[in-house]
Amino acid sequence: MLFNSLQYLVFLPTVFLLFWLTPHRFRVPLLLVASYVFYMSWRPIYGILIFGLTLANFLLVPFIEKATEQKNKKIILGFTVALNLIVLGIFKYAYFTMDAVKTTLGTVGIDWSAPHLHIILPLGISFFVFEFIHYAIEVYRGKPVVKNFLDFALFPSFFPTQIAGPIKRYQDFVPQLHIPVKFKWEYVDEGMQLILMGLAKKVLIADNLALVVQAGFAHPEQFSSLDMWMITYAFAFQIFFDFAGYTDIARGSSLLFGYKVPINFNLPYIASNVSDFWRRWHISLSTWLRDYLFIPLGGSRGGKWLTYRNLFITMALGGLWHGAAFHFLAWGAYQGIVLILHREYEAVMQKIGVHEKLLQSKVYHWASVVFTFHVVCIGWVFFRADDMKIAGQVLSKLFEAPTALLHFSASQLAVLQIRDPIIFPALVLILPTLMVSTFVVNWLNNKKFYQSPPWAVQVTVMVALMCLLTIFTPDSSPRFIYFQF
Amino acid sequence: MLLKEPGKSLRNDLMGILRSKFFISAALFAVVSSLLAMVRFGNIAPTDFPIRTWTGWAIEDFLSDKQGRPNVVFMGSSLVLVPVAGVDADYLKHPIDGSRHHQSQYFEDQFQKHSGVKVKTFNFGLPGEMPSDAFLITKFLLKGEKRPDVIVYGVGPRDFMDSLLPSPAATDPYQYLSRFGDVTSHKHLIAPEWDQRLNFELGHLFYPYGHSYDISVTADRAVTAALDKILPAPKTDKPYTIAQRRLLFPQYKQMEIANNEACFRPTTPEQRTFDNANMKEYKKRYSRLNWRTFTHQMKFLADLMNTARDRGTQVILISMPITDLNRDLLEKGTWDSYKKSLKVLAQSKGASYLDLGDSKDFSLSDFMDTVHLHSGGGVKLLDKLAEKAASDHKVMSALDPTESSIAGLKGGQL
Repeated sequence: MLFNSLQYLVFLPTVFLLFWLTPHRFRVPLLLVASYVFYMSWRPIYGILIFGLTLANFLLVPFIEKATEQKNKKIILGFTVALNLIVLGIFKYAYFTMDAVKTTLGTVGIDWSAPHLHIILPLGISFFVFEFIHYAIEVYRGKPVVKNFLDFALFPSFFPTQIAGPIKRYQDFVPQLHIPVKFKWEYVDEGMQLILMGLAKKVLIADNLALVVQAGFAHPEQFSSLDMWMITYAFAFQIFFDFAGYTDIARGSSLLFGYKVPINFNLPYIASNVSDFWRRWHISLSTWLRDYLFIPLGGSRGGKWLTYRNLFITMALGGLWHGAAFHFLAWGAYQGIVLILHREYEAVMQKIGVHEKLLQSKVYHWASVVFTFHVVCIGWVFFRADDMKIAGQVLSKLFEAPTALLHFSASQLAVLQIRDPIIFPALVLILPTLMVSTFVVNWLNNKKFYQSPPWAVQVTVMVALMCLLTIFTPDSSPRFIYFQF
Repeated sequence: MLLKEPGKSLRNDLMGILRSKFFISAALFAVVSSLLAMVRFGNIAPTDFPIRTWTGWAIEDFLSDKQGRPNVVFMGSSLVLVPVAGVDADYLKHPIDGSRHHQSQYFEDQFQKHSGVKVKTFNFGLPGEMPSDAFLITKFLLKGEKRPDVIVYGVGPRDFMDSLLPSPAATDPYQYLSRFGDVTSHKHLIAPEWDQRLNFELGHLFYPYGHSYDISVTADRAVTAALDKILPAPKTDKPYTIAQRRLLFPQYKQMEIANNEACFRPTTPEQRTFDNANMKEYKKRYSRLNWRTFTHQMKFLADLMNTARDRGTQVILISMPITDLNRDLLEKGTWDSYKKSLKVLAQSKGASYLDLGDSKDFSLSDFMDTVHLHSGGGVKLLDKLAEKAASDHKVMSALDPTESSIAGLKGGQL
């Protein structure tokens, strides 16, 4: 069931009404049933998978708590994490591994015909497996176990966050289930505002940009260097609005039941360096990677080169988490490298003693924002390309830009030639608008506008979004990008 | 709980609703929706085709003044379109542009030879046309000054049991034809699933949703006009072509065809070869037979015949020839049910029936694939049809302007 479907339009109000008409003690079972209905509406058989993993983690993790010796705790933790990773590996990485083995064997002249496994990736598996691992590690670190199976079962399966996060922390989520929340109209107002905003981000912005991005990355040879930059910018905004839209709908849907789930984005494109970007982008994943991969690997405790090694491994595996393909691995590795380069740059700047005033000046700050955005965009090429070959083609086009700019003429721009669909020439206006809007939203944030926006503004925006969404929602909107992960 | 202390709580909840920004917004949206409906905001004429598909070309040609009133209208899917157009390409000895050529010269001449009556034909065969589409053509277009005397409707089993079709509203012809009138009377057939029905009802309830296509086309045109002024396409020696668009966006405007893009070329017997490549596709189409689709499409066929009869138009229903290979893909019993239903329906509605479904007169060498006759097979089909029509009293009565009684109705009543 998709958030942007008629089924969800019926499902969500039904669960909402039942939830608030049900006594508190029955609400968790109700949400659990609803969440399994939601999940199994796609492929009923995978309900068994999520239930099986839930049961296994519920039964195994208490042994970590009960074990008296550290060594035993470690063994049980290792077993639990391995179990989760093996399930993830089978469903997500089996083909990738077999392809890699086949290629490797091929290089030494062995022709291995890999078996065809007919594996379909279960929706949301990467997200709920990470939630299970987080739970096991937190219990290992001394946090209490969840005693009630229904509470525990709802933690990974909670339908608003089930498919693409945000990746929750059980210490934040489970206690909310015990609070006998009273109905407030504020939940409806805030929840529905988030849902409408999320749908608008997805349907009105991301889906339209998707058309441009699809064409550009399928046929980079048809576009000039400057076109490819615009297409790459378009993807940067597409993936942001797609995923941020999903997160808004997830958070809004949760809020209708009085539950809060973490935010995932904080204006990532105003980041002034790549470290800052990762504090603003997919926050629930980046903090998960920090807490359960980077720190266990040693974090920053082992000196510069070990820190860099840990950073690189964390980001490369983070890339691979997104998908079983070399271009995702390359994207992760790229992020690792640019994070290391940023640390080196900071160290050099400190060493040579660049004037503090320059580093704190507005000009330097905004130049850094622009530079960081472009560094991130180059990374998106690896992420979006279907394979490394396409990524290479697109990148070589992008790096031709200085020459193209020297001999600039509007006739270079294929996006201006393509009048149908109209999104192509409109891109020349839309992209700057989106870029400027990021700064406007940041400015409004600083002015605390969103804490108490005027009543009339909220109502006007909601009515406008209702009109726009009813008119421009296509019959078949593409799936959210993060559903594939 | 929402309703804990009935009296006070209810009052609080009502006050809460009145204060709720979301509910106020929803109420205002309903008001805006009604206002937009009153001024018919963004409405475009049904004959205004933003995308030219087979359907758009056919409707435009049919409604044009130069067409006048056709005596005989052919309807059906590609099972009818392909052989009828292919035969004319051979017969007229020049390529036929499928988007422009909507007649059967060959049939007109053959029928005149058999009956001595000169008729004017119009070929409303469209790729993927279902009985639901044929019904809409009949109901909304084949009337008044454009009412034909005879409808020739060729059907195949796919028209009644295509499991790849989510609903009658999913075809390209439906998108255009449903704009010509009110289809509410058939909503239970057009939107049989609960979500389809909900979609249908929401479209009727909220004007912006129901008219989203019109409004978005209007908006698109306004934006295009504005952009053409602000950002005109730069002059270049390599203008953007439709072929480029098809390469870049294979999913975009998929059904669009340009003039001279779908041509039927004259063929020789040696060039007419058989290929069973569409077996796989039909296997999928015939799998998981949905009897509800079958009965719904039969109901559309019955309503088509009722509408035609009420207007004094005689229907010739043809069970189109298909190959044994294709027939064998059908589930056991479905072929018999299909044939029996056609026969009973034709009889009960006073239609003429030409059963060629498993006729031995057609062999594999008459087909280009497992269902479509090539132009050689098409000649056989049109010959048989011309012979049948010329010898059918009801058809000849319908075509004779002096004969005013058809199926019990007088000409003045038509």
